[in-house]
Amino acid sequence: MMFDLFKRMARAPAFDAAGLGVEAIARPIASGCALPASSVGVAVDRAGHTRRISAGGRITLLEGESGWCFHPGPYGCDLLPFAAAPEIGLRLHFAIDSPDPRVSQQRFDLFLASEGAGELLLADFSARVEDALQRELAQGNLDLPPCTTLDEWNAFRAGLNQLLYTRFGVTVDDCVPVDLRGSRDFAQELRARAIHGADEPFLGTAPAMAPVLQPSGQKQPFDPAVADARALRRLFLELPCLMCRVRQAALPSGQALFRQQQSLLQRLDLICLAASTMPSLALAAPGQPLAMDQQLRRARHSVEAAAALDEAWALLARFELAEDQGLEALFDEADRIVANLEQATHERKLVTPQEAA
Amino acid sequence: MSEQVNDQMSEAVCRSLLADGGIVTITATRRPRGGRADIKCSAPGAPAIAARMQEVARLARHTEARHDSRDQVVISMDRAPGAQERDWELAVVLADRAVRGLLPLRPHTLALGWSEQWQRGRIDGHDTKNAPAGALLGGPQGLRHLGALTGQPDVADAVSNARAWFPLHSGGINDSLCWVEVSVYPLDAGTADDEAIAVPGLDSARQHAVRQALAGARHFDGESAPRWRTTVRFGQDGLHGNSYELALVLADRMARGREFVPRGRIIASGCSSAWHAGQVDSVEGLAPKCALIEREAAAGDRVLLPRAWEAGLPAGLRDALRARGASLACVERIGII
Repeated sequence: MMFDLFKRMARAPAFDAAGLGVEAIARPIASGCALPASSVGVAVDRAGHTRRISAGGRITLLEGESGWCFHPGPYGCDLLPFAAAPEIGLRLHFAIDSPDPRVSQQRFDLFLASEGAGELLLADFSARVEDALQRELAQGNLDLPPCTTLDEWNAFRAGLNQLLYTRFGVTVDDCVPVDLRGSRDFAQELRARAIHGADEPFLGTAPAMAPVLQPSGQKQPFDPAVADARALRRLFLELPCLMCRVRQAALPSGQALFRQQQSLLQRLDLICLAASTMPSLALAAPGQPLAMDQQLRRARHSVEAAAALDEAWALLARFELAEDQGLEALFDEADRIVANLEQATHERKLVTPQEAA
Repeated sequence: MSEQVNDQMSEAVCRSLLADGGIVTITATRRPRGGRADIKCSAPGAPAIAARMQEVARLARHTEARHDSRDQVVISMDRAPGAQERDWELAVVLADRAVRGLLPLRPHTLALGWSEQWQRGRIDGHDTKNAPAGALLGGPQGLRHLGALTGQPDVADAVSNARAWFPLHSGGINDSLCWVEVSVYPLDAGTADDEAIAVPGLDSARQHAVRQALAGARHFDGESAPRWRTTVRFGQDGLHGNSYELALVLADRMARGREFVPRGRIIASGCSSAWHAGQVDSVEGLAPKCALIEREAAAGDRVLLPRAWEAGLPAGLRDALRARGASLACVERIGII
């Protein structure tokens, strides 16, 4: 008994909380570590179920669980809404709010479980937020036109707040337009393009409010095995939650819309099934390795499916804000996204691409 | 929902010129996918050209924000170009976009251009020497990348170009939207800002007016030292009045990367007696200009008019624009809210 106790104390490694809440949002934590003050623990089991461990406690993980420790913030970062306009940005302040008691799983916990890989840095996270924002703006789901009026700005803010809450589980405290000339000089950027050619995107100086070692913007080479595994993990964990949220969020008013919702849910169900029975990336058949270019193709389709999943979360955010009259267009958009998911998962399964006429 | 899609199903036609001087017509249609390939291409008797058509269309789709796998687009040519010819590539890309409603294509558009980097939306050049007037020509002297169709700067080019459009009122039937293009390139230290703004083809009084407007608007931005070598070009000669100024200033802001980017074009009318304060004043010609804008606006366009016009806007203009996917704002100042 005594020996056991000593052994446990000796085994528990110290948790390094340096920078947590400033430049790092979350960090993996080992079992037996004490949670630092004012941070929250999340335990994730193999199936993606999460439970929270409240602040100040000691992390005790069950068999097969991995632990995370995150700091609720607040955090600040600068976002670039348009890649073509590098000197005008948005300064975002956000936090991870206290848990919503109405849902069984917090969205941020799901984010950690499905997308977390190692330490979650603020710069890394803000790059993901920027991607989501840029895509919504490019598709016209959020609008930030030149000479934005106050009404348009308020509509944009409402959409952005909902997007970040639905997609990442973070709450926006404040968001203001900001002049980024101090931190990114567009003239220097153009000079660099002229010298280096257009093939290497200019990384620029690090964003003003994230004085980290500029991990954002640095693209790692595409590794099919890693990209595929990450994308499939996301599909496997997030699709069931997404379906659950679709059921709750969109309460269609008429019979026709209800039918559409039912058929969407059925199709999502089949996609879930496809995602959880996906053949291994490297095998054409049991014991038969697959050619490298086909592996690359398969990985690309998994990444496409994960991109459609991102769009689905963004659409869910729009459902949650929608009025009754706009539902028709949103259902059409849902139909498109589900069709893209079906297409991508279907092609991911194929051993060789079928060129149909 | 499928009925809706079918309603939109139409065909888009774009033409191009072959090396023998003949015109090739490229037709794109759209139909439900039904488990088929996303793009199907055909050229009479030339399967290699058809394969290249498909490759070009697929590569160019990488620059689109929205992917829709529900449709199949069928693209065909009425006669086959020679194996070495490539000027038809731009027409294929435009037809593929137009049929899906991503791009308004005027009837009888003639487009020439080829590219080695369609996946980045850039157009490298065109080979035909004697292209007819009014043709859309790809390449460094003409259309450099696909985003330039709506005036947006290329995010990979060392010279930043942006266009904005303004209504040109010249007596009813000849009213048209005219563009103004601003290109900026970083200035070497030690050159005065005044000399760094060139407006080729304009008389000196107008050049001076353009420089004044840009200098004022840049002062409003808080540019302390001159940073840019600037070239301004207009789509038409013989400008009257100064209602182009708002479009000019916005194109300049967009080229310098200091303005939010619209999905379509900026269409603006307005002038100012005090650009250094960012103020926008009223101009003449409310009724004909609004009628023109209502005719010409396309999805994603951003229409900006002086605040003084707000009370006098024709009834239904806002709704008509909104129904088309464009948006309108009456502003009294440029810049962030």
